[in-house]
Amino acid sequence: MKYTRNLNLNKQILLFTIPIVVILYAASGFSVFQLSKKRVLTSTQTEMEVYLNKMAEIVQLVEGQTGQGYSNSDYLILKPFFNQTAYYKSDFPFIFDNSGQYIIHAFKEGQRIPSILLQEIKRSRSKEGFISYTDYKDGHKQDRLISYKYIEPYGAYLGISVNKSDVLESLSQNKVVLILVVIFASLVFFLTITLILKPVIQLLKQITQAVKQLSEGENPDKIDFNQNNELGQIVESINDLIDNIKQKADFANEIGKNNLDAEFSALGEQDVLGTSLLNMRQSLKMANEEDGKRKSEDELRNWATAGLAMFGDILRQNNNNLAKLSDNVIQNLVNYLNANQGGLFIYNDDDPEFKHLELLSAFAFNRKKFFEKTIALGEGLVGTCAVEKETIHLKEIPTEYIRITSGLGEAVPTSLLIVPLKLEEAIFGAIEIASFHEFKDFEIDFVEKIGVSISSTLSSVKNNIRTNMLLEQSQQQREEMAAQEEEMRQNMEEMQATQEEMSRKSLEMEGMTAAINEALIFCELNEDGSISNPNNNIITLMGCTRGELEGENLSEFIHTDEKGMFRGTWSEVMSGITYKGTMHWVDKNSNELYILASISPAFDEFGSIFKIYFLGQDVTESKLLEIRAQKQAEEIEQTLLEIQVEQELNLQRDDEMKALLQALDHTCLITELDPAGVITYINNKNIQVLGGIKEEIEGQLIAEVDFVAKNNPKEFKKFWDNLSKGKKQNREFSLTLKGKEITISEVYTPIINDHNQVTKIINIGFDISEIKRKEKEMSALIAELETLRKKKQ
Amino acid sequence: MIVTDQDLQYFVTTLKNVTKYDFSEYSDKSLKRRLLKVLTDLNLDLIGLLTNIKQDSCFAENIVKEITVNTTELFRDPPVWHLLRSRVLPRFKNNKTINIWHAGCSTGQEVYSMMILLNEMDMLDKAKIFATDLNTDVLEASKKGVYKYRFNIGYLDNFDKVIKQNPLNFEEYNDIPYEKYFDIDKLKDTITIKKFLTEKPIFRKHDLVNDGNLFFAKFDLILCRNVIIYFNYSLQNKVFELFHANLYPKGCLLLGMHETILGPWANKFEKIGQAYVKK
Repeated sequence: MKYTRNLNLNKQILLFTIPIVVILYAASGFSVFQLSKKRVLTSTQTEMEVYLNKMAEIVQLVEGQTGQGYSNSDYLILKPFFNQTAYYKSDFPFIFDNSGQYIIHAFKEGQRIPSILLQEIKRSRSKEGFISYTDYKDGHKQDRLISYKYIEPYGAYLGISVNKSDVLESLSQNKVVLILVVIFASLVFFLTITLILKPVIQLLKQITQAVKQLSEGENPDKIDFNQNNELGQIVESINDLIDNIKQKADFANEIGKNNLDAEFSALGEQDVLGTSLLNMRQSLKMANEEDGKRKSEDELRNWATAGLAMFGDILRQNNNNLAKLSDNVIQNLVNYLNANQGGLFIYNDDDPEFKHLELLSAFAFNRKKFFEKTIALGEGLVGTCAVEKETIHLKEIPTEYIRITSGLGEAVPTSLLIVPLKLEEAIFGAIEIASFHEFKDFEIDFVEKIGVSISSTLSSVKNNIRTNMLLEQSQQQREEMAAQEEEMRQNMEEMQATQEEMSRKSLEMEGMTAAINEALIFCELNEDGSISNPNNNIITLMGCTRGELEGENLSEFIHTDEKGMFRGTWSEVMSGITYKGTMHWVDKNSNELYILASISPAFDEFGSIFKIYFLGQDVTESKLLEIRAQKQAEEIEQTLLEIQVEQELNLQRDDEMKALLQALDHTCLITELDPAGVITYINNKNIQVLGGIKEEIEGQLIAEVDFVAKNNPKEFKKFWDNLSKGKKQNREFSLTLKGKEITISEVYTPIINDHNQVTKIINIGFDISEIKRKEKEMSALIAELETLRKKKQ
Repeated sequence: MIVTDQDLQYFVTTLKNVTKYDFSEYSDKSLKRRLLKVLTDLNLDLIGLLTNIKQDSCFAENIVKEITVNTTELFRDPPVWHLLRSRVLPRFKNNKTINIWHAGCSTGQEVYSMMILLNEMDMLDKAKIFATDLNTDVLEASKKGVYKYRFNIGYLDNFDKVIKQNPLNFEEYNDIPYEKYFDIDKLKDTITIKKFLTEKPIFRKHDLVNDGNLFFAKFDLILCRNVIIYFNYSLQNKVFELFHANLYPKGCLLLGMHETILGPWANKFEKIGQAYVKK
């Protein structure tokens, strides 16, 4: 069933109707068949009875002729009658006896009828009848019909059997026909049904399709069907539905397109969808209206929000430059409001005596006020606004109050808005804006809001500026502090260095003072010449105590001879001139003292004397020596005169000596030595004989040049020692010069002065080489003679 | 941190090798303190400092600037200026020119003080002012002649003491306005020397140790105040010799308040108050 449920209608109908029809046809066919079968069997029975009766008559006739029961002659006469069939090919008549054995049969003589059949026949009382039985012949089952009749004379049964199939053979031909008729009828039915159903099903399909589309939300086309039957009504309804839906969809589309005024009416009060749509339209209309309202509100809000954001940005930038900030603000504000003029005033309370508003920046501002940059609190509209802290909105403006000028002309603005810049009741300034159009409430609100923002920024900018200023100040102060610290440190360093220098100096001074005190006599003198702070040396020198000395006037010590001179000296000192000289003092014990003294005044910064230092040295001894020396000098002077005379004599002597020397110079080798042994003079003869250069030899020590000194230092030392002692020395030496042996004989004569000192040594030498050579020749000859003499001996 | 003698020697030697500056004859104690200060300020140890000095001659130059001391003020030690006014400068009254050398002029206050005094004595036209210092930074400051006002408010007291008053005559009072010589801007905290003063002096970098006399001139007056305190005895004498050689006869040398010439050069000068006059 499940399967069939899913089949389409056409198939379902066919599936259900065709079997029923076929079964009905089959049943009627079968009935016909059975009826005809029965009729055939009945007619067969009748025929067989008829035939049997006829056969019985024949038998009767035959019996009649032959008499006496069954005999051969009966058989012979009857046999031909029994060899032929009557109506069917198998309805051979036969006779069988009580035992069932065929007496006469076309081909079964001697065989028996089936026992079951025999029993049944015997059971029958009527001795005739009609029986249907089943014979098994040759293994084949055969339904057979037998009609029998008892024949008295014979005591046997006459029977005729026939195969049922033979009987029914014609009938079976009818069966085929019948079946064909059923099939044909069924086919006709099928075709008829199909033909009738097809358009209906087609229509149903269309309807289904349409409904399906509808159900899927599509808008199907109308179904074309013009019959005024049930289907036609369905189709019409569906078409109406489609129409309706289309209309509503169109309407909904219109609504969708926001065409809320599209024409549409509900189908009736019961039209739920239509009413809903209309309600919806109504709601939408209302919503639209509300939306419109909200939108315009939103626009205003957006305008204000965007403006606030913009000014927020403007205020955030340049928030350290008040002028630039306010320029930006007023310029943008005027533009944003589509106004024409504007000015921004800042509240200035730096001077508590004159708190005022200051026009910080202006936009297209050309009224007279522009030049009045400051407005006192309460003065004019702006001043009032600042005092009252309330917005002023003027719609009628006095002609001379303000004018908006362009290149082409000027006009009085229609609307003037003055908004105080306040933050929590603290005033920061005011904004003045003039416009040709009237300011709307939201614009005023906006300006007021901006005013708060500006105030807050101004406040923070003021704070920032103040903070920056303080920061800068502190930075500057820090730098200054650092610079001052460095300066202080340098000052400290200078002081320290100065102190060190001073202590070094004072150490030096102490040392000097100590040295002075050690070596010199020292005291300070007051302006009247009285002594103070005498040192030990002076105390010792004067042979008194410190107490005695202090306060004593210096002039007391001066030797009477010099007292007058000292007064002059003192006045010179007092005029600032340092005295230096030897003073002649007399000490307490009347000893005469000579003091080499300096008296130096010390000056203060103004050049006045504040102290006088006396510094001196006891030069008594040297002074006395000096005096003695003076005496000696006088003596020396006399002696000098004597010496002069002597000198003249000496000069004479010198001349003689020179002459002598000159004479010697030609013949002798002359050398002059100073007491130290330096050769001071050597004559030409000497050079001639001994060679060398005069200039080189002169100035050399004799010890360096002398032949003996070189070869025999011991002898030379002895020789020189003697000379130094003033002893005249002779010597002789030989040397070989340019292959020639030269012998020199020298006489060294020390020149001794008055004080027994050797002042000069003069050497006079003779070249005795020739004599020596001859002497040698002589001694050689003597030696020769001597050897000859010895040989002779 | 302690700067030892050896540290100091390393430093001085390194500096001498890298730059031409010779601090070997500076006062040990002072130089040690300055070196310590430099090390502390730069947060360096000696090795680091010396390494930097070797690598960077600019750094070395700056260290020298750091080490040297530059203290001065307008009319510092008014008595000295009284001395100059009353006893020293009058000596040159009849000179055709007066050559003045400020050796170690620092930031120039002394130079301008001298010029103001000269101007008040009608001698500025005759004066030729030479000012030198080791430190080019302070020379630049000198040329500008702009000083801090607040911190140096004492300048004006000194000005009053030297220029307006006369210690020798308390009744005398010369009401000379500050504006004659300075522009005082209390807001900017500056005291600015007038241009006619700042453009006159010749400022030159000069090292007393090495440079001798930079100018082809001899001087009537040499001021070298609070400089030789940083030198040792030997260098002091060298400097005295230099000054002596470059002073005209009867020329004056003016040292600091607590500086004196002791030793061999002492008797080549005659002392007039604080001033030394070449004999």
